[in-house]
Amino acid sequence: MKVSVVSRSGREIIKGGIDLSDNATVDDLKSSIHQRVKKYYPARQRLTLPQPGKGKPVVLERGKRLKDYFEKDEGKLVVVFKDLGPQVAYSTLFFWEYVGPLFIYPIFYYFPVYKYFGYPAERVIHPVQTYAMYYWCFHYAKRILETFFVHRFSHATSPLSNVFRNCCYYWTFGAVIAYFVNHPLYTPVSEKQIKIGFGLGIVCQVANFYCHILLRNLRIPGGKGGYQIPGGFLFNIVTCANYTTEIYQWLGFNIATQTVAGYTFLAVATFIMTNWALAKHRRLKKLFDGKDGRPKYPRRWVILPPFL
Amino acid sequence: MAGFFSGLRRLYLAIYNWLVFFGWVQVLYFAVKTLRESSPAAVYDAVEKPLQFAQTAAILEILHGLVGLVRSPVSATLPQIGSRLFVTWGILHSFPEVRNHWLVSSLVISWSLTEIIRYSFFGMKEAFGYTPSWLQWLRYSSFFVMYVTGISSEVGLIYAAIPYIKNSDLYCVRMPNKLNFAFDYFYASLLVLAVYVPGSPHMYMYMIGQRKKALSKSRKSD
Repeated sequence: MKVSVVSRSGREIIKGGIDLSDNATVDDLKSSIHQRVKKYYPARQRLTLPQPGKGKPVVLERGKRLKDYFEKDEGKLVVVFKDLGPQVAYSTLFFWEYVGPLFIYPIFYYFPVYKYFGYPAERVIHPVQTYAMYYWCFHYAKRILETFFVHRFSHATSPLSNVFRNCCYYWTFGAVIAYFVNHPLYTPVSEKQIKIGFGLGIVCQVANFYCHILLRNLRIPGGKGGYQIPGGFLFNIVTCANYTTEIYQWLGFNIATQTVAGYTFLAVATFIMTNWALAKHRRLKKLFDGKDGRPKYPRRWVILPPFL
Repeated sequence: MAGFFSGLRRLYLAIYNWLVFFGWVQVLYFAVKTLRESSPAAVYDAVEKPLQFAQTAAILEILHGLVGLVRSPVSATLPQIGSRLFVTWGILHSFPEVRNHWLVSSLVISWSLTEIIRYSFFGMKEAFGYTPSWLQWLRYSSFFVMYVTGISSEVGLIYAAIPYIKNSDLYCVRMPNKLNFAFDYFYASLLVLAVYVPGSPHMYMYMIGQRKKALSKSRKSD
């Protein structure tokens, strides 16, 4: 079986094409391309079928046999190659995202940084600022530990450029929120409000951890990813209970600390996670449509009950 | 029904484009008149009202993109119009100290020439469904010069206003307050200046792309 690999504009990527056995899988093709062009390791390659018209092209998925994509023996098979750019593992991406806020925040708490912002006087630390620092660091330490010991990722890699983009987002927001919460002129809210806020936040963090354990158990270790209907605990009510608890966890932090910066972060994070949740909800509903013996996806909230 | 609405849409866009067009014609007319009869220092006072009207009306353009009335993406119109509004209201209106700067003249002439071409182009398109090819060529070529003079004047005027912004408390929010919020207009203005550094070449390249698309399309249809 001869496969010719072309770019989207039709230019040949591998001179002379690639010879493969008749039972070859998509993985075999990818590693053959990698052998010919060293920089295109398999995770960096996106292979699709040639697209005559417009619309979404068919992506060649790993683990499937090439024969399944080409119905008859067409003689010469053509696949379209796209370079996805340098890739990193998801755990690497998450680690760098979270390690910034984990270390930046305590700098504002422990070190006399405010004299560089024009506040030379010694600052008096309110108890809520101390709790907030521990709460913040616990949160990001939890996320890093979950990245390495709990999460199982469906896609192995992410583009390297996402690391820079996401770090900008997390590190900048972390620094701005830390600046305002630890500010010498910070005004704390009432003690009752602080207790309610942190109380809600801690409950949600524990719930969030349990959600992540449940999600982990949906994927078989060493498996190839794939989607399952999430179930158990809050997942019986909400499709993305992991995001729900994450959002309410930040709401708790903001009720206790009350900064415009914190609420802005909450709004942006809610917006981003809502988009992800809507996409996942749609995907699950399409995948589990109740036809041909497939289970039907039950009626559930998407992310923010009782609104959405 | 669909025909009625598309007719209404065209009528509205035609009126909008020609109205703003006349605003910019006034800006150019008063600017040139003042330069000939008086001095660059007097230009701002002569153009203030039509400038504020025409530039503020551009907010509607962002809305047109948002509701799908026109095809131009918000990601392209927002930074362009946002930076202009910042200079019009946040600098020239708020800090009268820079109004007599000679850069005001190059600023309003660059802006008004660009916009006279642009709004007449879209006004023709919506009102008659036809645009002369020389106008289209101007629409997609004038930016080569106008962007450089316009953006340089914007940056120069913000820079000239910086010392006055630093010494004023205008638009600043200071701590302590219940919302634990602070805003410093001086640092915000520095941030705007910093955004110009990657933003200007990006917009320039975007316009070159638009030019290629528009001019090659019209050649094909000829």
